[in-house]
Formats: sequence, C-alpha cells, structure tokens
Amino acid sequence: MASVFPSEDWFNEVRSVFNSDDSYRGAGGGSCECRSAMKIGRRVFLLNFEGIECAPVVEADKGALADVDFYLDMPLADWQAMVKDIAANGGASLHYTLNTLDLDRAEGLSHSVHEDQFREDLFFRYNQTFQFFFDASARIKTSFG
Amino acid sequence: MAKAKASQAAAESAAGQAGAIDGIPQPKLDWAGRSNQWGTRVKPNAYGLRLGDLNVGIYGEIPDQWQDQTRNPRGAIPRKGVPPLGFAIRDKSDLWAESSGDLYEEAIQRRWAPATDIPWNTLKPLNEGLERAICQVSTELCQYANCDVETITSWQHQMAYGYHEVKQFLATASFDAARQFEAFRKRALSNGGGLGLEGPGQVNRMILESRGGWTEAVTYLFLMRGTFTMTMLRYLERYAHNDAERALYRYTLQDKARQMTYGLEHLQYSIAHQDDMALIMQQLLFIGDRVWAREMKDHVLMEALCVVFAGGISDAGTTGYAIYRQMMGDFMNSYVDTCEWLGVKRQPEMMPNSMTQYLKVN
Repeated sequence: MASVFPSEDWFNEVRSVFNSDDSYRGAGGGSCECRSAMKIGRRVFLLNFEGIECAPVVEADKGALADVDFYLDMPLADWQAMVKDIAANGGASLHYTLNTLDLDRAEGLSHSVHEDQFREDLFFRYNQTFQFFFDASARIKTSFG
Repeated sequence: MAKAKASQAAAESAAGQAGAIDGIPQPKLDWAGRSNQWGTRVKPNAYGLRLGDLNVGIYGEIPDQWQDQTRNPRGAIPRKGVPPLGFAIRDKSDLWAESSGDLYEEAIQRRWAPATDIPWNTLKPLNEGLERAICQVSTELCQYANCDVETITSWQHQMAYGYHEVKQFLATASFDAARQFEAFRKRALSNGGGLGLEGPGQVNRMILESRGGWTEAVTYLFLMRGTFTMTMLRYLERYAHNDAERALYRYTLQDKARQMTYGLEHLQYSIAHQDDMALIMQQLLFIGDRVWAREMKDHVLMEALCVVFAGGISDAGTTGYAIYRQMMGDFMNSYVDTCEWLGVKRQPEMMPNSMTQYLKVN
C-alpha cells in the first residue's frame, strides 16, 4: 500500500528505510545533530537527526519553524516533482539534488527564521545525510493524494 | 582522599611484586598514585564517548591563557625541568572555537574514501573541451588543497596543548585537504584527460605568508578562500556531468562547510575577546581583496568554469559565462554578508570594482 506524500506516515516510512540501512552511514553520511523542518506548501514536518538516526517525524504548525536549525521550503508541486524524480531514478537526478534545488530557486530552498549562520550552514555540513534520506524514498511506494 | 587511596593501592601493588624474580629491578610505582584528579569515570551517552564529553572537573578547565610550554596534556601533572617548546599561540582568543571538539568528532564520523565511496565507474567519455575544463578545475582544486594543508600545519604546531580540541580538529582539516587533493587528482587522471595548467597561486601565497597570527590566516583561508571554494563546489555539483563528480563535489562541500564553521566561530570568538579585531580584519580584507582581484584577472579558471557550466566550449561564452557571473554573485554576496554578520564592515567603496561588480548580479 502506498503512503501519501506529504504525510507523517510517508516520512516515517522513509525514516524506517533510512534508519535500517547501514550504507547511509558511510560515504559522506554518518553522525548528524540537526533539527530541521520540511515546509511543503503550507504544511510543516519536523525532521530531527540524532546521531546516526532520524527521530520520528511529526507534523507541526508554522510556529515550529522558529525552533529548527533550518527548513526547506517549496510549493507542494515542486516537492512532488522531486519525489517523483527520485522514485524514477532510484535517487535524485542531477536536476533534483537538494543543492541544485537550492541554487535554482530565486529565494533558495534552505531558510531560517533566526538567521544564525552556524545553524543555517548545517544544511551544507549534513547535505549528504538529507540527500540520503530523500533518496531512500525511492524504496517505498508513494502516492500523491 | 582519592589521591591517598591511589597511593596506598600503588604501594600495596609494589609490595606484592617485590623480589618476585631475581635480577629484575623492583618497580617503584611512585608515579602510580599521582594524578591531579583521580576517579574520573566519564560514561558514553547515546552518541558514544566524545572528545567534548571528557571535559569534566579539572579536565574541562580551559583558561584564557595557557602558560605551559610543553606537550603536557591538559589536566596532567607537569614534569619539572622539561625544556620549553616555544609555542607561539597560547592565548585562547588566538585559536579557540567552542565547537572544535564536536567538529573533530564529526570529521571522524562522517569520513569518506575517494577510492571506494566515489562511483568512478559512472565516468563516461566527455567532449574534449569539457574534459579539459574539468581537469583544469581539478588541477586548481588540488592546489587549493595543498595550500590548506601547508597553511594549517604551519600554524598547528605553534598552538599550545591546552587547547587540544582545536589542534585535534585542525588535524582532521588538514586530512580533509589531503583527501581533497587525492580526490581531484583522481578525477583528472581517470577519464582520458590529465592535469592542466598550474594556477597563478597569488592568493595561495597570501594565505601561506600571512604572518600576523593564526586569526589572520583564518581570515584569508576560511572567510575569503573558503567562501569562494564552497560556492564553486556548489555550482560544480549543480552542473556535474555524472554521479562520480556529483558525489565528489558534494562530499568535499561537506568537509569545507565543517571547516568554515570552525573558521567563522573562531573569528567570532576572536572579535569578541580582542580589542579592535573587527577593525584589524577589515584592514586585512582590504589588502586581501586586492590580491584576490589580481588573481581573478587570470582567465584560466574562469574560462574552465564557463566550459564546465555550459557542458562544452560552444556555449561557454554565453550560457557558461552567465552561470559563472551568477556564481561570482553568490560568492560575493555570501562573502560580504558573512563579514557583516561577523561585525566587519565591508562598504563597496572599500573593495575593488572587479569584485563589487558581482554584488549586483543576483
């Protein structure tokens, strides 16, 4: 049965894949201390990494963005395009890596409320961990509601 | 009390062994009861046993100035009569960044190996102009890496051991740079091309020859060169032509971002704890910007990047150059924003026109 993107179920199914595969802990991945959020249209999902694992993902309101190190913000259609690309290619293709999406968007992909550069830079320090996480979504069945 | 118990245990141990084998000197074990703080029992937590977790009791006392001129580890009992080693950097404000211990752990845990973690088999023949351009960029990135190694190691041995977190982290940073050299040399020599032309190296020389202290070197190495390298790696990842390059640029970007965190945090600490440091940095950057601008007049790296971004020579002057300008705009905006965030004023009139022209791009 396919999980609907975006939803807590979808994120937590991806999380199960991510947490159970040791290969995501090597090759540029590994220990990650970061509190982030994914802003998908108007919806917000909190994605926290503790050590080598991703904590359970919960949906939150917009006010939670003030507490995270950074958040990734795109309209729903753009998120869906990214997830479809990952599913089609087994991982993000050259046009849909997080870094590419950040560079290609006039306002960028990664944002923060606090404008603390150290916390914003975690997007770059842990970029591969986040890429691994979303690439893991290629291994689950996704529907788009 | 703990000290007394330890001494007693050592004495009992010595007594038990006395005369066990003829001809073997009787151990004194007079060292065994000596410790500034015995009975320390740091437990691993959910993240394991990290360097920073050990900063308990006297072992976590990190003074503003480290007077000891030997390699005595922080917290150990100094031995009398050890000749001084002449460490030049003994003030915390000259090297400290609070996150150094954590960054050290991060570098160790998030390591990668170019030999096996890059999918080299995804490299496919590219048009010759593009291959030559990628090899040229790789050549210059090897030079940047060499400069990083030399700069970091030339200062690292001058740092007092009281601040071992910084020394440990910088050991990983020089290893990161060695890996960067290895990885880009491998890229240049693995797809039918070869190394290109040596870069002008004027900024490398400026970084290497900064003699005003480690903070000055950090200003040039991380704030200026580091910001540029990070921006360039981001664009190279964006316009990569295969999975091998994409992984290569992304992994290197992570390493560079970690170094930037140390660099910026140190500059922030130094500005907060030393009079006029923001003003000194402003003056350093005034000089550095001009060396930078002179080096950027060299057309080689610019042309190579334009070819990479355009996917070949034919569109390098149009599409490629437009992307190059966008990259330079991102670099300049990031550089100036970071300076301002640190409290170092950077009015456009203080910088060469060849740099400020890019401030208007994005």
